[in-house]
Amino acid sequence: MLRNAASFLGLCIAVTASGVVAPAVAQAPASTSGDWVVPRTPAGHPDLQGNWSSATITPLQRPRDQGPTLSWEEVEVREGRAANRLERVSRPSDPDRGAPRAGRGVGGYNGIYIDAGDVVAKVYGEPRSSLITHPADGRTPELTPAAQARRAERRESRSQFGQYDHPELRPLGERCLVSFGSNAGPPMLPNGFYNNNYTIVQTPDHVVIMAEMVHDARIIKIGDGPRLPEHIRPWMGDSWGHWEGDVLVVETTNIHPLHRYSGEEMKVIERFSRMAEDAVLYEFTIDDPSTYTEPWGGQVPMMALNDRLYEYACHEGNYALSNILSGARYQERMEAENQN
Amino acid sequence: MRARIIYATLVAGALAVLVYAVPAVAHHAFGAEFDPDAPIRLQGNIVRVEWVNPHSWIHLEITQDDGTKEVWMVEGGTPNVLQRRGLRRECLPIGTELIVDGYQAKDHSLTRANGRDVTFTDGTKFFLGSSGTGAPTDGAETRGRANPARC
Repeated sequence: MLRNAASFLGLCIAVTASGVVAPAVAQAPASTSGDWVVPRTPAGHPDLQGNWSSATITPLQRPRDQGPTLSWEEVEVREGRAANRLERVSRPSDPDRGAPRAGRGVGGYNGIYIDAGDVVAKVYGEPRSSLITHPADGRTPELTPAAQARRAERRESRSQFGQYDHPELRPLGERCLVSFGSNAGPPMLPNGFYNNNYTIVQTPDHVVIMAEMVHDARIIKIGDGPRLPEHIRPWMGDSWGHWEGDVLVVETTNIHPLHRYSGEEMKVIERFSRMAEDAVLYEFTIDDPSTYTEPWGGQVPMMALNDRLYEYACHEGNYALSNILSGARYQERMEAENQN
Repeated sequence: MRARIIYATLVAGALAVLVYAVPAVAHHAFGAEFDPDAPIRLQGNIVRVEWVNPHSWIHLEITQDDGTKEVWMVEGGTPNVLQRRGLRRECLPIGTELIVDGYQAKDHSLTRANGRDVTFTDGTKFFLGSSGTGAPTDGAETRGRANPARC
């Protein structure tokens, strides 16, 4: 993995300095024993290394009728429902079954293929109804008029093409370029499907975060140095970190414009800290006055993954993209034949 | 062994849909690659397994009613998830007979489909969905390694 990280570093040429936002409210650990102490690296920093999973049934945005926390009764209901879901889809099927029904709304894949998580996100023992913690309603803020205009312009531009006209019109995840959603980040958010797993490796001057989904490696430089020029925008941006006490604070700019969250002025501040022996608390704030009417962000518990990360050699086996494009060409041929 | 392809009937389909709770998306949008108007049922034997990301693919040789043979490629889940559920590549020996129902690729010139439900001939699940996450506790749940390999 380090070899991959090193090669990725060569490609990334990342560089940019630090800044600080402190979005999260520190709370006394409730889920840790009293004698637990934060493990440290030989350099004396909190040891964030290991394999972690952010899979959770807690949604990014809070439903409008809910408060920020859940009762333990509600936690039990939600986690029980999640646990039962797999049991249901694992039951035997009728061997004499026919094909499934045709038409719209048939759904997609078997739930067995999905591993979105089955626990509610809990931060220092507090069960959360959403990952977003600010603004106070737990929802992404409104776009600025300028951002709305940019989106409309982008829609207008794309409307001259069919969505299957060209591979570059397809989503980044489908093209195996970067994980779908914002798995690799920043911000690093659970994708709701599978492979929400990370490996963190630390040295005194770098932190590498490998996301299992599409095998993305973030290289975070510790300290200060020259930032990338504005026009160079790697997929996961240009990240610089520093330590504030026991918290690793990472500031990222220059995020690629096609990334899930991006903007010319966007700055993402992330904070990593050890919440317990088996948990890292990941916090993020997105600050982009040209896109959002106010900064927003949240907290995501990353739980210890008692497993290894597997490779995700996406390009090599990506039948899906060719099937998608050939499917569109096939349908065009059929339509043409029907017209003749 | 009798292998066959049977296209959907509305009645069978209506029954089948009651069985599943299926998310609408994965690595790619389902409707971008597969034709929801071309449901399909396959029964045949494994001739090849591609244990690759972003999706596993199982190649099944099916025998049609006229006796001719045809190989279909069936798309499964990402190997990382299946592996954590205890299903390794070695669990898929060549020759194993399976029943698959799902939807054909939008390009009907291809013998490819998604495997929405993949079972052995007695109906037991080929991909078994034990959670592998352990029981919920007080917020410090450790994920993984709860299920030993199934083969």
